[in-house]
Amino acid sequence: MLRYLTRRLVFAILVVFLVTVLTFVLLHLLPGGPARGILGMEATPDQIARFNQEKGFDQPLYTQYWDYLVRLLHGDLGDSYTKNEPVSALLAQRLPKTLLLTVIYTLIGIIIALPAGIWQAVRRNRAADHILTTLSFLLYATPVFFLSLLLIILFSQVLPWFPAQAAQDESLGSVLADPGSLVLPIVAGAAAVVAAFSRYMRSSTLDNLAQDYVRTARAKGTSERRIILRHVFRNSLTSVVSMLGYYIPVIFGGALVIESMFNYPGIGLLFWSAAQEQDYPVLLGVVLLIAVATVVGSLLADLAQLFIDPRVRTAKR
Amino acid sequence: MNDVLRVRDLGVRFDTEAGEVTALDGLSFSLGEREILAVVGESGSGKSTMAMSVLRLLGGAATVSGSVELEGEDVLALRGEELRRVRGKRAAMIFQEPMTALNPLQRIGAQIAEALRNHDPEPERLTQYRDRVRELLERVEIDDPDRRMRQYPHQLSGGQRQRVLIAMAIGCEPRLLIADEPTTALDVTVQAGILDLLRRIRDESGTAILLITHNMGVVADIADRILVLRAGKLVEQANSAQLFAAPEQEYTRELLEAVPLLGGRAEPSTVDDNGPALELERVTVRYGGGVKAVDEVSLRVGRGELLGLVGESGSGKSTIGGCALGLVRPESGAVRLFGTDPNRAKRREALELRRRIGVVFQDPGSSLDPRMTIGQCIAEPLLVHREGTKSGRAKRIAELLDAVELGAGVADRFPHELSGGQRQRVSLARALVLGPDLLIADEPTSALDVSVQATVLALLARLHQELFFGCLFISHDLAVVDNVCDRVAVLNRGRVVEQGERTEVLGHPSEDYTRRLVLASPVPDPVAQAERRRARTGEA
Repeated sequence: MLRYLTRRLVFAILVVFLVTVLTFVLLHLLPGGPARGILGMEATPDQIARFNQEKGFDQPLYTQYWDYLVRLLHGDLGDSYTKNEPVSALLAQRLPKTLLLTVIYTLIGIIIALPAGIWQAVRRNRAADHILTTLSFLLYATPVFFLSLLLIILFSQVLPWFPAQAAQDESLGSVLADPGSLVLPIVAGAAAVVAAFSRYMRSSTLDNLAQDYVRTARAKGTSERRIILRHVFRNSLTSVVSMLGYYIPVIFGGALVIESMFNYPGIGLLFWSAAQEQDYPVLLGVVLLIAVATVVGSLLADLAQLFIDPRVRTAKR
Repeated sequence: MNDVLRVRDLGVRFDTEAGEVTALDGLSFSLGEREILAVVGESGSGKSTMAMSVLRLLGGAATVSGSVELEGEDVLALRGEELRRVRGKRAAMIFQEPMTALNPLQRIGAQIAEALRNHDPEPERLTQYRDRVRELLERVEIDDPDRRMRQYPHQLSGGQRQRVLIAMAIGCEPRLLIADEPTTALDVTVQAGILDLLRRIRDESGTAILLITHNMGVVADIADRILVLRAGKLVEQANSAQLFAAPEQEYTRELLEAVPLLGGRAEPSTVDDNGPALELERVTVRYGGGVKAVDEVSLRVGRGELLGLVGESGSGKSTIGGCALGLVRPESGAVRLFGTDPNRAKRREALELRRRIGVVFQDPGSSLDPRMTIGQCIAEPLLVHREGTKSGRAKRIAELLDAVELGAGVADRFPHELSGGQRQRVSLARALVLGPDLLIADEPTSALDVSVQATVLALLARLHQELFFGCLFISHDLAVVDNVCDRVAVLNRGRVVEQGERTEVLGHPSEDYTRRLVLASPVPDPVAQAERRRARTGEA
């Protein structure tokens, strides 16, 4: 078990390292370069050369990357080009807000999706199943930005129930002080989670309902209710849990759109503006953060699998 | 004698996309206290459907008609909670695949306790049933019950899992046990133990047992009375001794004749030594640094000789097949194909060696590419070895399809359009398309019905006569090996315990393990089987 965990961890670190290489190379291959982006179109070649020298952009890429990596290991993600602040400080300030939003809407989404999926599986091919299936496909097919727009128009403009944007203050407290402003972003995010995970849960439950062990449980006189709650639910959960781990980048991707739609001051919005301003250090910092989150997510999913499934426990010993 | 189960005019129809299919039609029989009634038939005969319909486990697609009376109460009229109270209480069921029939995420103890709790008028927490669970595990002779009940299904062996299912079934002392192929997934020695256990449960508690099986040896061992089904209809019912001695119906006779008999071929085989096709010299294989799957095994298959390799699951049979094919690399020892070690041969040489080997696998359903036509499947070895022109290949395919008695017409069809037996004929044709000097057949008939097995084995014998290839015939079925092979090697835990001429090894085994294996293999003859049972258990 320990060997398995160590191997898994080493692998995770390797993946993060590869991600830093990839994003670094990709961002430097972009046309224009940071000098043009920051100094503007009127900058003279002389100014650009001086800027590049100052920031070390005249060095070969591998030297730049090496410097980046060394600083990274010291927790230094560099300074933002446009915001005059260290990237780590920007991330530390924004991350709690994004976490707040994503954790809440993912949780709410899952809490709705699991029972909905089970219910659909139990009532397979009946009216209720068809209606929920149609709804979840509709949600699944609706882009998040469009859903966000609809929500803003309906529940902020037509019916002035909730504000269309979040509190713009720096602190997490201010966001929490105005919970009404969280409602629409959470609904938008949770909708996507419900759409995806009720489908997973439905098919996973259906697979399990067709298993031999369910027949055994029936044959010994177990009630249908108990079969679902005691046998099928836990078995279905195994596949959904691992799915959730791999779903983290998708949830982050959703946050990017939602935050920019509702002007919510989280990581997503930071990434959005950094991309427009070609603020390399911030972009790299966010990408790295998401990469780490993804790797940690799949690691957690595997750990959860160990916890739920005794077969995995034996196999990995 | 009181009838525990009375089935009258039972009919089952399934609503499928292809229309309505009748699975059972007008079946009537009864089963008395203490009686073991075996229901036999080949796949598709409706025997499992019948078993399921007694406890109404068939699901929504099935329409059941007639009546199923359990101790006088019509099960088919029961609804919801009433039905739940009957299941596991008045009649309980034992299933075929003990691995999948248990919940993989729940401890053994909890699963047995649930069966008790389901019929407890005042249900308690599952842990409260611990003592009773321990008693049940002791009754089905599971060692160390306290440890076992905390374990999960995957931590038990197949035989132990089957015992757990039995413990679960007898927990509420049902008057009827329905056992659906309870030993099919098990080794013969384990099977013998399970049959003994069922017999004892009947003797001690007077439980009636409805046994569904395709194995005539099992039937001869344990059944009092027999029901023969074919295509959903009752062919014949008679008591055991009578049915085996003098079957009334033609179909029953055919069924019995198709069963290969251990010791059924008296004359020893004589094969001239034409040099070796396959030699294994002290071959050892270890998977992933763990235990040895194959331990210092030496074997020899001469040209034109049929060597049977028998053993129970996990004995290393298939690993040896893999070594011969060059798919498994031995840790030590030497493999020689026609005098050359395939693991040391150069690419070209190795390819040439492979050209001279044909192989047939166990499951014809999964060993043929579902997206290739039969013709393409058979032609693939020719293409791999760049042999023949297009028209030449088409001719060869037609020849082979004739040789395996399918006819050239099936060349354009797909595997799923054929039956299991037909598919195995295709596998055989594919194995023989290059005219191999060595055929490796890994459990080639295990997935087939006996009547189909008989025809495939006859075909193999005929082709061997004509083409004279050496053959490594891997099987768990001693009777099949006895009927097909010239020499036999017996494998136990990766070691060859005995090898030699067929009539010697299987007729007069010198090793204890072989003797036990031979005695545990049930023969389709109640009188002989009773004698063997005595010899095995040492009863007076």
